[in-house]
Amino acid sequence: MLARVANNLFWMGRYVERAEHVARFMNVNYFSSLDAPNQLSQSRQFVLRSMLFMVGDPVYDDSLKLKEEEVLFNIGLNREKNYSIINSIKVARENANSSRDLISTELYESLNKFYHYVMNYSTDTFVKTNLYDFTVNITEMTAVLRGKIRGTLLHDEVYAIIMMGVNIERAIQITRIINTKYNDALMAKGSYGDPIGNSFEWSTLLKCAESYDMMRRLYKKSPNSTSTLEFLLLNGRCPRSFMNCINQVYKHILEIDKKVEYAKSSTAFMVGKIKAEFEFKQIEEIQEDIQGNLDLILNKMFKISENMEKEFFNY
Amino acid sequence: MGSATEKTIFSSYVRKEGLFDEVFKGNGNVKSVYQKLLDLYGSRSIEDYVNLNTKAKSSFFNQGITFQVYGDKQSQEKIFPFDLFPRIIDPKEWEIIEKGAIQRSLALNHFLWDVYHDKKIVKDGIVPIELLSSSPNYLHQMMNVDPPSKVYNHISGTDIIKHSDGNYYVLEDNIRCPSGVSYVICNRTALKRALFGVFNHYKTHTVTNYAENLLHLLESVKPPGVDSPVCVVITPGMFNSAYYEHSYLAKAMGVELVEGRDLFVENDFVYMKTTQGPVRVDVVYRRVDDLFIDPMEFNPDSALGVPGLFAAYQKGNVTIANAPGTGVADDKAIYTYVPDIIKYYLDEEPILKNVHTYHCSRPDELKYVLENVKELVVKPVDEAGGYGISIGNKLTKDEIEKVKAEVKANPRKYVAQPIMSLSVHPTYIDEKESFEQRHVDLRTFTVLGHDQQFVLKGGLTRVALKEGNLIVNSSQGGGSKDTWVLKQ
Amino acid sequence: MFYEYEIDYDTQNSYEKGLNEAFWQFLVVPEENDTQELTYWHFENDLGERNSVSINGLGFRTVQVRSKKEIDHIKFNAHFKLIKKEVNPFDFELPLDSKEDYDQLRSLDFRIDHEPFLRNTRLTHLPEKYATIFPFDENVSLFENLQALNQWVFNKIFFKPGVTDVHTHMEEIIEKRHGVCQDFTHLFCAIAKKNGVPTRYVSGYLHQGNGFFGDSQMHAWVEAFVPNAGWIGFDPTNNLLANHNHIKVCHGKDYTDCAPLKGVVYTLGKNETKYSVLVKAAQQQQQ
Repeated sequence: MLARVANNLFWMGRYVERAEHVARFMNVNYFSSLDAPNQLSQSRQFVLRSMLFMVGDPVYDDSLKLKEEEVLFNIGLNREKNYSIINSIKVARENANSSRDLISTELYESLNKFYHYVMNYSTDTFVKTNLYDFTVNITEMTAVLRGKIRGTLLHDEVYAIIMMGVNIERAIQITRIINTKYNDALMAKGSYGDPIGNSFEWSTLLKCAESYDMMRRLYKKSPNSTSTLEFLLLNGRCPRSFMNCINQVYKHILEIDKKVEYAKSSTAFMVGKIKAEFEFKQIEEIQEDIQGNLDLILNKMFKISENMEKEFFNY
Repeated sequence: MGSATEKTIFSSYVRKEGLFDEVFKGNGNVKSVYQKLLDLYGSRSIEDYVNLNTKAKSSFFNQGITFQVYGDKQSQEKIFPFDLFPRIIDPKEWEIIEKGAIQRSLALNHFLWDVYHDKKIVKDGIVPIELLSSSPNYLHQMMNVDPPSKVYNHISGTDIIKHSDGNYYVLEDNIRCPSGVSYVICNRTALKRALFGVFNHYKTHTVTNYAENLLHLLESVKPPGVDSPVCVVITPGMFNSAYYEHSYLAKAMGVELVEGRDLFVENDFVYMKTTQGPVRVDVVYRRVDDLFIDPMEFNPDSALGVPGLFAAYQKGNVTIANAPGTGVADDKAIYTYVPDIIKYYLDEEPILKNVHTYHCSRPDELKYVLENVKELVVKPVDEAGGYGISIGNKLTKDEIEKVKAEVKANPRKYVAQPIMSLSVHPTYIDEKESFEQRHVDLRTFTVLGHDQQFVLKGGLTRVALKEGNLIVNSSQGGGSKDTWVLKQ
Repeated sequence: MFYEYEIDYDTQNSYEKGLNEAFWQFLVVPEENDTQELTYWHFENDLGERNSVSINGLGFRTVQVRSKKEIDHIKFNAHFKLIKKEVNPFDFELPLDSKEDYDQLRSLDFRIDHEPFLRNTRLTHLPEKYATIFPFDENVSLFENLQALNQWVFNKIFFKPGVTDVHTHMEEIIEKRHGVCQDFTHLFCAIAKKNGVPTRYVSGYLHQGNGFFGDSQMHAWVEAFVPNAGWIGFDPTNNLLANHNHIKVCHGKDYTDCAPLKGVVYTLGKNETKYSVLVKAAQQQQQ
């Protein structure tokens, strides 16, 4: 496979996955806050700030009054913002365009339809009445895309590259979401005296990661900080967990790099090392410094992506 | 037939006096090859038809079979307009077209070999030397280069019209990077889906075998010493208007679609940059203009090409299809010599006729052209895509004077032809919500390989969607139709 | 008589913003022909990349260097040793009847065989208003006319470096009467072609020992085709016939075919090129 095309497929996977997480985060966060148990969690400003924090455009100035429609527009449909959903879909499709000869007609057609759907979505409707409809459609269409990736491509190098992109991005987005909700929980703590460990924000977090039902089945208790973090970071059987993502990344990198022994500088070695480290990680270790550990995970994922670029995309 | 009930798709079809209709005879009866189609199709209502048409169009749009139209602010994606009412060519007529297209392609290939070697045809006084020396596409670098299997124009697109005398005429040869073949295949797919009930009543040749034949013939002209050649398609990139076609062909052939920056040359061998390191490339199907393929030899500002590619080609380490320098043979001034070229190299009479052409560079012909602009089509020699063409009977007095002045000032730049009456075909016109007669032509695709040829049994029927318009190019608002070549 | 030369071609290209990928092609290797024999060559670049020798579209030897590292400059050096044979440029017979030459120039076969070097190029196109600036006198031989043209160009243009470049129009050269060897050469070619004589642009090295104009860079002169005599070298910059001091690298229709360095670099910033040429005569040898 051409190095340039591999790079494009990798980023196609990443952007599709990114669009989904941003959309779901908006949806869950917004709607669950409407009847949240405490005042701060219900506050519009709090929710909007949380969204901006998650997409990487945080607002720290408390005196600033955010306009809801503007924030929703920026995250959803503003083409000028590189973090917007519309932009992710646009870039995903551009990447697919440059590798149309490699991906299936079915996958391309779905992505193309998706693109036109988003491009033609009316801003006014979106910010006024259709936040739910829009975000749900995004998450559903990305699910269709994932199905097409899995079901209509030969499971070879092309597939592996896309799935690397998808899983690296998922690990990053899950970590970002945890980070954001952890941050929210910290802030919410002061306002109503709940211990941070039992904050309402943990349930929201699980829903943002589409993992609430799975988690309830496993723990059969209300989520608290320990169980939530353990589930989302370390439980390899939860498809959204960091652990599962890294397992997937490891599986796919072996498809791309078929050497028997791996150089220490290779991506395969790097991924293997991280995988081994987290397999035997305890949640208590992470809880010693949650913020520090989340940053560490993010940095490791960024490093994997950069290393791939050097190793495979840059001849 | 004639007993069409009301509101069916042909109930309001008007046949104009003097136009050659491919479906209806002069007396209004349906020609025999179309009879079955009309029996099945003709009874449908316009509404039915519009429904099918809309669905087919959205399928094109969703598949991304579009081209970009660049507007003031944002570029827009449009589908290439097409019409669901197919054109049918009976086996006897097709035989003539196919033989004629092969004959032309072979003769032009001989011509290219000759002008890049001994130039016998020029020395024998058949083709004037000035036509070569004034052509920017006559590449000095190609002198005495022997392309593998002596093939230059691997892929030719021949534009053919049916005149009101019932004969086929060639309007133009395209042997640089002819495009359009992907539309032939897409049109067929769309038509099969929408009208399977009609399609299955005809025995029509397939068109979906184009890519496999193309790959086979490209592999047959591999460089010497290579067992299983690696072929690639090189494209200017996704912003090129024919990008869909490039990606379609690469995918259908199962080869890589590369851009210039994906290839590099080392020690006169060509490699592509893959995730597993460099991989040698043996055959390059180029969809980039030859003047842009190698900044070391041709346009130095080209960012689309591969530096060093020509040296590798010249050394015989890679095949380029079509060969660089083929453009010299599809110049409109050379076109007029094609019948002579066929006789000279093949010692045969041309199977497909040429439209008679007046060279404004010849004083007596210039005089005729200036006196008869109203009855002629005046074309610049070196413009592609239908630009700069003036059709005499559509011009105002002032415009005629302008054309005359232009031609007088620059006679070498122009040729003129009698206004050919292109045949018409029933075509659904959105604004009129009915079928009307529209002019059509046919682009056929011929592939030359090592001692073998292939003509796609079908072709791109292009329709001039504006009423009375004779220019069918998509850049001038043309559409297309599926073309059925019937089996014997 | 034989002359032995050593030639050093040195160049350094610097790129303000740096670059990740680049391709350079040097057209600096002396041609091997009846009067020149290349006995030694050596190429070096300071990037540690391979110097690949290739042949360009007009049949001349090139050296290609490809880099895919992050760099901000390249230094390239070529070193040659060459034996040049002294030839008498007047060693051919002038036709008894000078008309013969002109008849041949006009014959179809001749025009076809020499088509590339009769072609007008952007750099050798004589504007219509100067069409008769130097008409040939058909009462004397073609060779004499070309010699007169050589003299005329030499007198017409004043050698002045740094005022013209490859984009300068011929009109400016004729009107302002200044330029460097490329401009002298292009003007000669344009006028000779106008008179039906095939001419080609020659790029090469000039041994400067005798105080010629050459500016310690690559030199340019003309080869014109004279029927019955073949290609003859004229150096209008120095009003000379090409001789043992002229070491030919290549020829082409004009400068564009002969540029000593062509490169494709992927960078945004400015770049700067420096180069120098040194030609030394070694001991003359009798053989």
